[in-house]
Amino acid sequence: MNKGVLVIARNNNNIDYVKQAVYLAKKVKKHLDLPTSIITDNIEYLNKSFDPEVFDHIISVGYESKTNTRSFYDGGLASKTDNFKNSSRSSVYDLTPYDETLLLDSDFVVNNNLFLNCFDSDQDLLLYKDSYDLSNNRNTKEFEFISDSGCDFYWATCVFFRKTETNKMFFDLIKHIQEEWNHYRRLYQIQSQLFRNDFAFSIAIHILNGFNKGNFAGQMPGKLTYITDQDILWNTKDETMTFLVAKKDYLGEYHAIAVKDMNVHVMNKFSLSRIIDQEMAVEQ
Amino acid sequence: MDERLQKALDFSNYMVTFNNQKRALAEKYNQDLLYYHLGAQFTVTKELINFCYTLVSTDNTEVVLVDDNGSPVQITDLENFHANILDVYFTASNEYYNEFVNLKKKRSVSKLVEIDE
Repeated sequence: MNKGVLVIARNNNNIDYVKQAVYLAKKVKKHLDLPTSIITDNIEYLNKSFDPEVFDHIISVGYESKTNTRSFYDGGLASKTDNFKNSSRSSVYDLTPYDETLLLDSDFVVNNNLFLNCFDSDQDLLLYKDSYDLSNNRNTKEFEFISDSGCDFYWATCVFFRKTETNKMFFDLIKHIQEEWNHYRRLYQIQSQLFRNDFAFSIAIHILNGFNKGNFAGQMPGKLTYITDQDILWNTKDETMTFLVAKKDYLGEYHAIAVKDMNVHVMNKFSLSRIIDQEMAVEQ
Repeated sequence: MDERLQKALDFSNYMVTFNNQKRALAEKYNQDLLYYHLGAQFTVTKELINFCYTLVSTDNTEVVLVDDNGSPVQITDLENFHANILDVYFTASNEYYNEFVNLKKKRSVSKLVEIDE
């Protein structure tokens, strides 16, 4: 069975997801020694600005004109509102070139080989349910349940799946939830109108578990470590990452924290972009 | 600001950073304690090590263990499994200890996160 990593990169006016995907592919090669394929609507930009050879397959998707805006923060004091093109995730089952796929967000930084264990797992679908906020002072309830009265929260940030009939049914169900989002968000009492893959994946797992907790999806190795976009990725050196995490109730003030050899979901895409620019400048 | 308060606030800032680093080390330790066998995930605990040791000591060669996902797994080479989880435990614990001792020596926020001053 062939295996690899899949990443979706669809740029908006402010965030260069393609650049993040290139960075991710290099990290994946270094730590997992796996090929990475990209799904993008910016192939021309990718070929012009980066080395497309870092990708195993380049999969084209059509330009998305549907508006799904949200705020993207860069620490506590700066933000920009832009289009959030997140509708392709439900199609990854059909688009992936691999029998065994590790789907990662482009803003996920791989610093160890923990994910290799997914490919040895006897479960065909793995997601993170448990997570670790590098800040020690936030209420993390929004990452435990999808709403006050809703089901368990699962992260769509890292998903391992094999091509099986059951997983096809899972991704088809996510497509249905996406198409009928207004119905499902009301059913699960989600206040925000914004479509979020985390919610759609969580709802699909809840349904396939018989509208209950269950083992339809297994757990990815360890916990998903993250910073939010209120925090800042400050510096990287080899596999050590230094962050400024927001102080509670002191907007724009931060504590420093450094982690080594840990995979981290860096939700502050602007600070990740600055670090990638620095590292790419050193490479050249 | 009163010098006594300033000193206390500086120390408070140091302690927050120290505790965050300590917590991050603990998370890394928990991650390093994971052992994968036959597609199943086991968190290596002192209980698991001792249970396996007891079985090996009483001449058992096989056992069914329940993994982290709640699934039963047939362990056919118990002695080898025990040796491997012991190795995972020692490797992870020694690294945790070394990192923690190193952390305790650092007496400023910048040194805790190793930022060049």
